[in-house]
Amino acid sequence: MRGPLRRPFPRDWFVRKAGYRRFMVRELTSVFVGGYIVFLLVWLHQLGQGPQQYYALVEAMRHPLAVMLHVLALLAALYHSITWFNLTPIVMPLRIGEDRLPNAVVAIAMGYLPWVAVSGAILWGVLR
Amino acid sequence: MDDLLRLRGNLDDTMAKRMITLEVFRYRPDGDDEATIQDYRVPYHEHWVVLDALNWIKDHADGTLSFRWSCRMGVCGSCGMMVNGEPKLTCAVFLKDYYPSPIRVEPLINFPVERDLVISMDDFLAKLQAVKPWLIRDEEEPPEGEYLQTPSQLAQYQQFSMCINCMLCYAACPEIEGIPDFLGPAAIALAHRYNLDSRDQGQSQRQEALGSEEALWGCTFVGECTAVCPKNVDPAGAIQQAKVASTKDWYRNVLLPWGKR
Amino acid sequence: MKRSNEAFWWSLFSAGGIMAALFIPAFIVLTGLVLPFTTGGDADLGYERAHQVVTWWPVRIVLFVVVFLSLFHCAHRIRHILMDLGLRAVSTVLAALCYSGAAAGTVAALFVLGTL
Repeated sequence: MRGPLRRPFPRDWFVRKAGYRRFMVRELTSVFVGGYIVFLLVWLHQLGQGPQQYYALVEAMRHPLAVMLHVLALLAALYHSITWFNLTPIVMPLRIGEDRLPNAVVAIAMGYLPWVAVSGAILWGVLR
Repeated sequence: MDDLLRLRGNLDDTMAKRMITLEVFRYRPDGDDEATIQDYRVPYHEHWVVLDALNWIKDHADGTLSFRWSCRMGVCGSCGMMVNGEPKLTCAVFLKDYYPSPIRVEPLINFPVERDLVISMDDFLAKLQAVKPWLIRDEEEPPEGEYLQTPSQLAQYQQFSMCINCMLCYAACPEIEGIPDFLGPAAIALAHRYNLDSRDQGQSQRQEALGSEEALWGCTFVGECTAVCPKNVDPAGAIQQAKVASTKDWYRNVLLPWGKR
Repeated sequence: MKRSNEAFWWSLFSAGGIMAALFIPAFIVLTGLVLPFTTGGDADLGYERAHQVVTWWPVRIVLFVVVFLSLFHCAHRIRHILMDLGLRAVSTVLAALCYSGAAAGTVAALFVLGTL
């Protein structure tokens, strides 16, 4: 008797199934968000150093590579926002009496509406 | 009417001549060093599920093939296997969804294989028991007859009570293997189900199991457990909700250590 | 059984996830894609304006909270990605590296925002 057979779970599982791949992309957004935060700190630092340093940085940010990185970071951040709001009602379901509020209602009320409000306030507040 | 029936019979006969290949995982602990894949040609019927084909093999082709099954209707939870790499109840997947391609049938991944398609459930049962999936009351006897519950109290946990312990969720979870102490989807969903039950008073007892190192936190919310669940239990949701509850419990313990229940 | 402190890290991860989801896309649009191309032109979004906005105390506080929590959100996720990719054997080292990185970023944010 050799006893029960153990089979390893595939080590490359995260590329093997659409659901796993979506999960990995969702998690990897954090690399871009984290990278952007580091950039944001640099940007703030340069802003504190005075106009010369600030304009030097802004000049560098017109470089196509910098723009491309920002576009990538934006896509990642959008994917994070959307997946986060869509999962919110699953993590924190809301109930009225016997009925659980539809996921879409919770996602809009607790995610998308505040998102629009915050984004609008930021862009309007600075660009008006 | 007779003509119709005869026609139907003829049609069934022609269908029966069509065949489909099942590539079945074989492992005999008393003989094999490792697993092999054995091909079987099985008659194809449109209304057959994979389990019907396995039973045909067992009855007509190879009596040594071992697999678990019972109800044939998605209630008992014993016929879960990997079908073309996906955890499925074999009583619920039709041959017609794969025909004419061959179908690969393997035992559920993340479990030790006892023989052929039969897995060992020992680890799962130990985890299930650890979360005490039963009503816990402070007093021994129910006061008078049964405990009363309103429909809205029932609705709190009903979804999580539909679990049939088929273990498909464990086979879908990429974290199970690497984290032996992770309780896994079904066990946590059941723990959550009893914690949400208005008749239950055992949350603190269950928290001992749920609050320990990797019990809950092995989960990174991949969500595939929910995707494969044949009963729409949403174990992934249950785990995240249990994380929220466990986090509140953690802060309560840190901020109010003297206020222990 | 030992009570896990993962709940604490997870609470930071969750709070950070909310912050990042609400604030970061607009931040990226603003600092990365709009400001570089409007500064110096007709629409004056130059140094004066940027400095004026960022030094307003409510903005500083919001920036600090967003940066602090988002960093811990990212640290937690990156830690778990690395474990998923097969580094579970060194999970303690990973946790130390990821969270101390986030802590360092938080200290840096405190310094930068405090000295603007």
